[in-house]
Amino acid sequence: MTSLDEDLPADVPMDELSEAESVDEDSVPRQKIEIDNKIALERIRDTIKLDPSLPWTETLSVTYPAVIEVDVDDDLNRELAFYKQALDGAKKAMSLAEKHRLPFTRPADYFAEMVKSDAHMERIRQRLLDESATIKRSEEKRKEREGKKFGKQVQMEKLQERERGKKEMEERLKGLKRKRKGGLDNPEETDGFDVAVEEAISDRPSKRPKGTGSEGKKLPRQARDQKFGFGGPRRHSKQNTKASTDEFDAPRGGSGKGGRASKGGVKRLGKSRRMSARGRS
Amino acid sequence: MASVLKTQKANASKASVKGKGKRKAEDIDDEETQAPIAKRPKNKQRVLLLSSRGITHRMRHFMNDLEALLPHVKKDSKLDSKNHLHLLPELADLNNCNNTLYFEARRHEDLYLWAAKTPNGPSIKMHVQNVHTMDELKMTGNCLKGSRGILSFDKSFDESEWGRLTKEVFTHIFGVPPQARKAKPFIDHILTFSVLDDKIWFRNFQIIEKDPTQPNGPPQTSLVEIGPRFVLTPIRIFEGAFSGATVYSNPEFVSPAAVRSALKRAKGNKYGKRKQAEEDRSGRKEGRRREEDELAVAKVFA
Repeated sequence: MTSLDEDLPADVPMDELSEAESVDEDSVPRQKIEIDNKIALERIRDTIKLDPSLPWTETLSVTYPAVIEVDVDDDLNRELAFYKQALDGAKKAMSLAEKHRLPFTRPADYFAEMVKSDAHMERIRQRLLDESATIKRSEEKRKEREGKKFGKQVQMEKLQERERGKKEMEERLKGLKRKRKGGLDNPEETDGFDVAVEEAISDRPSKRPKGTGSEGKKLPRQARDQKFGFGGPRRHSKQNTKASTDEFDAPRGGSGKGGRASKGGVKRLGKSRRMSARGRS
Repeated sequence: MASVLKTQKANASKASVKGKGKRKAEDIDDEETQAPIAKRPKNKQRVLLLSSRGITHRMRHFMNDLEALLPHVKKDSKLDSKNHLHLLPELADLNNCNNTLYFEARRHEDLYLWAAKTPNGPSIKMHVQNVHTMDELKMTGNCLKGSRGILSFDKSFDESEWGRLTKEVFTHIFGVPPQARKAKPFIDHILTFSVLDDKIWFRNFQIIEKDPTQPNGPPQTSLVEIGPRFVLTPIRIFEGAFSGATVYSNPEFVSPAAVRSALKRAKGNKYGKRKQAEEDRSGRKEGRRREEDELAVAKVFA
């Protein structure tokens, strides 16, 4: 029952030595003694074994009928194999307990000291809850992040759409106002439903009267320069000149206007009436 | 010392019996003839659980877990010296135990477990690895303290002689006898021993019989791990309790010290190899060196 063991490269058994291999001449062939004294083991087992007539209830041991053959490093499958063994054992034990009339299931109202204290079980429960909460939170955040990339585009497009729509509406309304500026219709006549207005602001371009989309009279370059260039026509109105320092009263622009014959045409209405008229048309 | 006291006590009791007269002797005889009829074979096991000095907190928690799981266990104080293992059978006798689980801690990092049947029985020395105690929060199961557990053994135990012996010893040690004082009535956990890669893997599961949500249908059994879990590598089996001839030795076992030294040697190898290569290089360089040429500048021009 002794055998030559080769665990170091120097200890090569002589019969397996090939010609080419070199052996350190000083190496001593080591012998690792392996003992497996089957006879003695059996004898000992016979001396210590329990009386075979003992019923199963004395030892509660069951045997799993299969050998476990799993890769040791494969954690998942290894634990699965152990679980299967335990499950098989539990089922066998349940049927055996029924046969021997041994109480198996613990009733729900049986309270006794448990191997792990309640405080410890509470910590376990808390940890499980925390874990599930973090998972959920990270899932939500990931979804948000994904959605944001996509959603930003959609948002920008929507904003642009809205702006465009607003602008268009404004233009149409402006066009309509300019047209209607000449006198206000009797508001009761239309009964609230002014078909022309509706048509003008409608979404269907075919319904809109042509011309609302027109640009309006465009002033030529020269006229615009005169009107808006370098501060406009009244650009010098507040200057202090030699003449203006000697004057104490402002030039009578109002009286000049009042002195004119009232052949100026229609009298300009007051501010409040003008504003209200503007809003209405 | 303990054994001497015991024999003294025994002698004293025998003497007192004899001295009390013949009437008592007759009574005893009558009782003895009646007793064997009523006697049924019972499984009586008590386990002595103790450790050596130099045990770490993890090992201590592990021991406490085993004490909580097995109600027929008697925990004792630490054994002072690791060299006097012959004290252990006497200690077991003192505590009325017929099994012993002795945790030997070496170098504050290796744990060896001796499982022995004490009067003259065999003892198994094993190396313990990968200990996960019940405190770990990933093990969510729970069971009654002192409930008797089912033992499930792999078929590989029956295939080898040492396996059969180990199975027997474990059945005595880990199987709770029904008459144990602190044993509780119901069965709610199962201990599994499996042989994989020449090592014994231990798991402890809680048996949950879920009442089905539908009133029909059988209840589904499911298991949740309670812990602890560990891996045992059998090293040797001795004929006596902590002494005696070796009847089995495991050829696959490499002592953890040897493993560590091999690792360290491998680490040191890198430096050695480099230095060796440097020496070789200088040797080769010497070999390549040629004599100075006849037409070299230094020779032609003085």
